[in-house]
Amino acid sequence: MEKFTLEIIQDALVAAGDEMFKTLERTSMSPIIYESLDYAVGITDSKGELLAQGNGVTAFLAALDSVVKATLEKFNKKNPLKEGDIIIANTPYAGGGTHLSDVSVIYPVFYKNEVVAFTVNKAHWTELGGTFPGSVSTVATEIYQEGLHFPFIKVKSEGILNDSIIDVIKGNVRLPESTLGDLFAGIAAAEVGAKRVISIIEKYGLATYKKAKNDFLDYGERMCIEALKEIPNGIYKGKTTIEDNGFGEGPFPIKAKITVTDTEFIADFNGSHPQVKGATNLSFSGLVTGCRSLFKAITTPQMDANGGSFRPMKVLCEPGTIVSAEAPSAVSVYYEVLVTSIDLVWKILAPLIPDKLPAGHMRSICATFISGIHPDTKQFYIQAEPLAGGWGASAKHDGNRGQLSCGSGESYNIPIEIREMRYGIQVEQYTFHNEGGGYGEFQGGNGQYIDYKIVSEGAYVTAAFLGEKTKTWGMNGGHDGSYNYFMIIKKDGTKQRYSLGTNIFLEKGDVVRCVTATGGGYGNPSNRSEEHVLLDVKNEYITKEEAKEFYNVG
Amino acid sequence: MRVATDIGGTFTDLVCLEFDKNTGKPIGVKVAKSDTTPANFEQGILNTIKKGTINLQEVDFFAHGTTVVINALTEHKGAKTALITTRGFRDVLEIARCNRPDLFNFNFVKQAPFVPRYLRFEVDERMSYKGEVLMELDMKSLEKILKKCKEENVKAIAICLLHAYKNPTHEIQLKKRLLESNISVEVIASHEVTREWREYERTSSTVLSGYVLPIAKKYLNNLENNLKEKGLKNTPYIMQSNGGITTINDVKTNPITMVESGPASGVFGAIALGKLIGKNDLIVLDIGGTTAKCALVENGQVKITTNYKIEHSRTQAGYPIQTPVIDIVEIGNGGGSIAWLDQGGKMHVGPKSAGAMPGPAAYGRGGKNLTTTDANILTGRIHPDYFLGGDLQPDYQSIEKAAKPLCKLLKGEKVDVAKGILRIANANMINALKLISVNKGYDPRDFTMVVIGGGGAMHGADLARELQVSELIVPPHAGVFSAFGMLMSDIRRDYIRTNVLSLAENQKNAIVTTFNEIKEEAISNFEADNTPSEKVKFTYYVDLRYAGQEHYVKVLLDRFSEETSLEEIIKHFHQEHKKQYSFALDAVVELVNFHLVAEVAVDKPDFPKMFITNKRVEDAIFDRKAVDFDDLGVHTTPFYHRDLLEPNMTFKGPAIIAEKATTTVVTPLHTVYIDLYGNLILRIDN
Repeated sequence: MEKFTLEIIQDALVAAGDEMFKTLERTSMSPIIYESLDYAVGITDSKGELLAQGNGVTAFLAALDSVVKATLEKFNKKNPLKEGDIIIANTPYAGGGTHLSDVSVIYPVFYKNEVVAFTVNKAHWTELGGTFPGSVSTVATEIYQEGLHFPFIKVKSEGILNDSIIDVIKGNVRLPESTLGDLFAGIAAAEVGAKRVISIIEKYGLATYKKAKNDFLDYGERMCIEALKEIPNGIYKGKTTIEDNGFGEGPFPIKAKITVTDTEFIADFNGSHPQVKGATNLSFSGLVTGCRSLFKAITTPQMDANGGSFRPMKVLCEPGTIVSAEAPSAVSVYYEVLVTSIDLVWKILAPLIPDKLPAGHMRSICATFISGIHPDTKQFYIQAEPLAGGWGASAKHDGNRGQLSCGSGESYNIPIEIREMRYGIQVEQYTFHNEGGGYGEFQGGNGQYIDYKIVSEGAYVTAAFLGEKTKTWGMNGGHDGSYNYFMIIKKDGTKQRYSLGTNIFLEKGDVVRCVTATGGGYGNPSNRSEEHVLLDVKNEYITKEEAKEFYNVG
Repeated sequence: MRVATDIGGTFTDLVCLEFDKNTGKPIGVKVAKSDTTPANFEQGILNTIKKGTINLQEVDFFAHGTTVVINALTEHKGAKTALITTRGFRDVLEIARCNRPDLFNFNFVKQAPFVPRYLRFEVDERMSYKGEVLMELDMKSLEKILKKCKEENVKAIAICLLHAYKNPTHEIQLKKRLLESNISVEVIASHEVTREWREYERTSSTVLSGYVLPIAKKYLNNLENNLKEKGLKNTPYIMQSNGGITTINDVKTNPITMVESGPASGVFGAIALGKLIGKNDLIVLDIGGTTAKCALVENGQVKITTNYKIEHSRTQAGYPIQTPVIDIVEIGNGGGSIAWLDQGGKMHVGPKSAGAMPGPAAYGRGGKNLTTTDANILTGRIHPDYFLGGDLQPDYQSIEKAAKPLCKLLKGEKVDVAKGILRIANANMINALKLISVNKGYDPRDFTMVVIGGGGAMHGADLARELQVSELIVPPHAGVFSAFGMLMSDIRRDYIRTNVLSLAENQKNAIVTTFNEIKEEAISNFEADNTPSEKVKFTYYVDLRYAGQEHYVKVLLDRFSEETSLEEIIKHFHQEHKKQYSFALDAVVELVNFHLVAEVAVDKPDFPKMFITNKRVEDAIFDRKAVDFDDLGVHTTPFYHRDLLEPNMTFKGPAIIAEKATTTVVTPLHTVYIDLYGNLILRIDN
């Protein structure tokens, strides 16, 4: 039966995606790629329809197919791509763009002089120049402050590396070896994928390959529509805010209206606040990516993503809002707005599908960038990473502790032993905290502390912890959780609490304490068994006093 | 007489090599099988010894592989374990790596730690990343910790302090003090388990080794005593996950090294067989009931990794164990794997397995799902008289019933569905085989494939054809090959130590010094086992990367000495990186881990040769039936008794070769040769 052959081709495409994923991870130079796995790889057909995607994070779901489609708009019939060309792009406002740090490598795959597929990847490069180390700033007001911009340019033409581009990159970034290492890793991954696609076509023939990919896209759509039927039809509305734009202004509202039918899912963000001064803006293509990940979570979380599986979903929003920002607005902290938008749709839908969505989680990437000179090697370093925190409880289980936000995924924390050697920073504690909250029949997961002590002669910290004024939300009678923030504890013991901060100077001996929130609780706390409450006390997840006050135990 | 026993999930196997008393030449192989006895594993071994009528007094060498460790782990039936860490870091074990492999599942549930928070304790002390003492170890909190452990009836204490891989002094002091305290618990410190960095992985490894320590020790003591009572003179050797055996005392101090001993010995058996017949580049495939495992052997060597996890899947992070394990890819595809359709109408095979109970539909034990084994029956590839070792006739009615729903949904005949199942199962295995070969820069055409396990020979020919390997070997006793491999293993210990060095300036002395330190440690370990140092053979590896990268490439330092040039090492690394990842960089090269392999050769028997009695190949044929070879058509196919085949015979496919433990499928494209040792060699001749 031909059906099985088609399915085997589809699995082979997914396997090729997995291989590209591993190649990038194992060869890259940025911890944010090989530990945080802040990247995605994929294969599209010749028109940019997504066939297979490997993800380290959830945030790139609309990135790969859109960036190929945008490539095809520039390199159209008048100016066609040639065999051996490789394009790079990081435009935030189009083609699945997010911020400049996320760079796509796009590789047209030729078979007998015809483009038959694209292999593509998008990864967060640690350094791309701009005003501040790590190319992220909470006080940027225009994109020009945020680093180098590659507006769909050829890094290779017909197989020949463009040395001028390499020189431009070298001359404009703070860690040229790492940045170029990431470029070559991206190219290597794309080339590996291309080889596999060609071997599939050689084995099964071009016509069968084309049939398999069309069949695969339809299959994705079918799977999604089946799952969509399980969500109650209706129109649901909600509102959230971005607390701060980095200039002490705010809050700025984001609105969403969700329409669910048996065959469609429409997320309408019209009426959200206009784009803001500062870098807490999200481009429309970033918004689509966020909606796709939430849509995937509630429909087919375990299925390999393909273009067909997003056909039932639409995103609407007028241009120029905080979730559909246009050039030249700054967007380097887009990820906080992205996670906030996901959280908004999540909160609207969770009561309808509590088996798919738990109570509110930390809702921030809590990304920190610490830069300075290593005390031993005297080399310039940037420690860039997302942080883990507490997740919300659900109808069936307590919230997870020690998990990165919904914007991350198969991302890893940086081991202390590696961190201390690589950056010369000293970690004072890495532990769950108990700042209260999350009570319920099921308890929200505890947030955590990580304390960085600066042992070099001075360093700088940039970070964005939204949720400094808003607790994570509880659900169906469960209590809210706690806050995200970071605190600078000076040598003399004085403390200052922050939500957003850019390039704050730290002296030797200062400590940066990063605090991530406890997740929201689920259900009425009085329904929690005494046994569970006492075990939580024994484990010091909650105190005796909390057990008495919120659970009436002890 | 040399004996090896291997405890598997379902069966306990025994292989015994007998020798001619005068010539010392091997004269025969004895095989015995009995049910695994999970309540009391050593009973299963004694049963096989009885079944095989082995007189232990005549046994000179006894090797043993056991699942006692992996079982205790996967069933979470280890001992109550406590953990002591550096102050501020007791939650490292639970925070783990913070990842969510099931990344779009926002209702994900993280796996619980093996030590609950109330049994995770902290002490004041601190090392720097350079191994310098930043804060002295303060023992004053120990009294409280011990009291709590006593109250909670803790059986094992694991210690893992920050940067102990670099400087274990505080761990050594702490352990000493705990052992002096007169509390009856096992104590294990991280430096005894691994000397690699990454505190979570090291903590997890130490905790898990502690968790199985009381059980493993008890088991090994019982085994030793039982065998001694039955007359065994020499202490038994124990199989480890690194493909080598070691002394029983060695595994008692760190039992986690036994975690993957079964698959390791199968691969080592294949290597030994390969050496004998001059094939040193192998792809080894072991297909069992639930999973298929494969490994690549280059120049007689298989790679060792410490990047091993239990309970790891596409949706769960698993628990890491930093112990040397041979580099195996395992997928959920075996004879019992179930075929099923998803909501979109796509067919999948596995990873869910019908197991031994109820087993495939053909077993007639109530299995309602169609499995890979059933598909092999439906295509006529298994002879009914040879099903399950000939003990049972396939239950065709039950197969029919199981096939019905799939036929209806897929609108096809049952044989079409069966062919679909085999194609998908084979495609899954091809993907796994590519992971270890093509994806790592190897061309399968340069390799010989060896198939073992009950299902290896069923699928081997199709896989070999698709992968285009040069030839396929089905060894005799492929069904008990793991036990066989143990008879071919040397005593081996792997010493891996993280010590990051830049190779930019001349670091030769530092490298030589570190290797010498590790060597001394190895020699003193062997001397403690009464093995003289001159018997120990060393092999040197380094894990290298470009500065800035995280992951590394393992590079063999061939004939390493003080004369070895640093440029040679660096050049070798560039080549390996290019081979694996298609590019090399003009960047600084960094050394991450030192890896020293210390081996002591044990006297190994020759593989017994088969006698030639000038039988006629035609006489081995016992039936002719129609067999469906999918794209190669349906053919009336001769069925051969393997027992009646002997060296120098050759015949063309299509053919099915039946034996008790497995069935070999020979496609119409293949020709079979039987070599001196009774191996079936399948080739596609042009």
